[in-house]
Amino acid sequence: MARVAFIAHCLLNQNAKVEGGALRPAVWEPVLDLLREHRYAIRQMPCPELAYGGARRFWGVREQFDTPLFRRHCRRLARLVAAVMAQHVDADDEVVLIGIDSSPTMGVEFTCSSPTWSGRPDIGEDDSTLIAESGIFVEELEAALAERGLPLPRRTGIRHWFPDYDPDEERQRLEALLA
Amino acid sequence: MTADPRGRRIAVVADSRLEALLPELRASGFGAIQLPPAGLEPEVASAWLDQVAEHVAEFLRHDYEVVLADDGASEGELRARLAELGAPPLCRYAGMQA
Repeated sequence: MARVAFIAHCLLNQNAKVEGGALRPAVWEPVLDLLREHRYAIRQMPCPELAYGGARRFWGVREQFDTPLFRRHCRRLARLVAAVMAQHVDADDEVVLIGIDSSPTMGVEFTCSSPTWSGRPDIGEDDSTLIAESGIFVEELEAALAERGLPLPRRTGIRHWFPDYDPDEERQRLEALLA
Repeated sequence: MTADPRGRRIAVVADSRLEALLPELRASGFGAIQLPPAGLEPEVASAWLDQVAEHVAEFLRHDYEVVLADDGASEGELRARLAELGAPPLCRYAGMQA
């Protein structure tokens, strides 16, 4: 039985982040180091925002992305990920999912939300908050897996953009997921 | 948001080489895009390559450095997908001296 981690694209490629959003030149090492330590194979998921909004997109909240066209785009990518996951589930592999909490797209347990804030990020005060919901892609992945009779795997999200980000708490949470 | 340290360098890497190459890619400031692993159903591998090509074409459009560290399994198909998107073939990853 293999151990397989489906990870958000940007954990392996910080260039996929929104402009101003990368925290490292190349990869997010804390996660990759733990995956190696716990002998997980990596399956890099696509970045729905990069493919849709491009490399020069700016950031936004969940309400901005929650359009029928973006959901259709996410659904296409989610069906690909679900198909790969299904092969691993059929092989009795241990599968986990690591997204990006705070992301409007890749959030697992938290996503960012605002009823009003939108548009260019330098216009108006950013009043977005973190809410306990998934991002659009993760919702579509859950639906794509449900079509196959599968649940979302055990999962968590990286929280490096939380205002009170605690690397030790994150490491413990990841250790619990990967153990 | 903060000053953005992204390296603007990306290696498109065969799954069979990813684990071995990751340390030097990190050290050289390369992010990675994973090519489809072996053993996928053909249509799934094809869909995986489609999204890789879309990501690569977008990075090339914005003058990111994108190189290929293949194992021979996907190079031809990737080149064809990139051509469909109007993007050139990728140069080979040259290792730590790059």
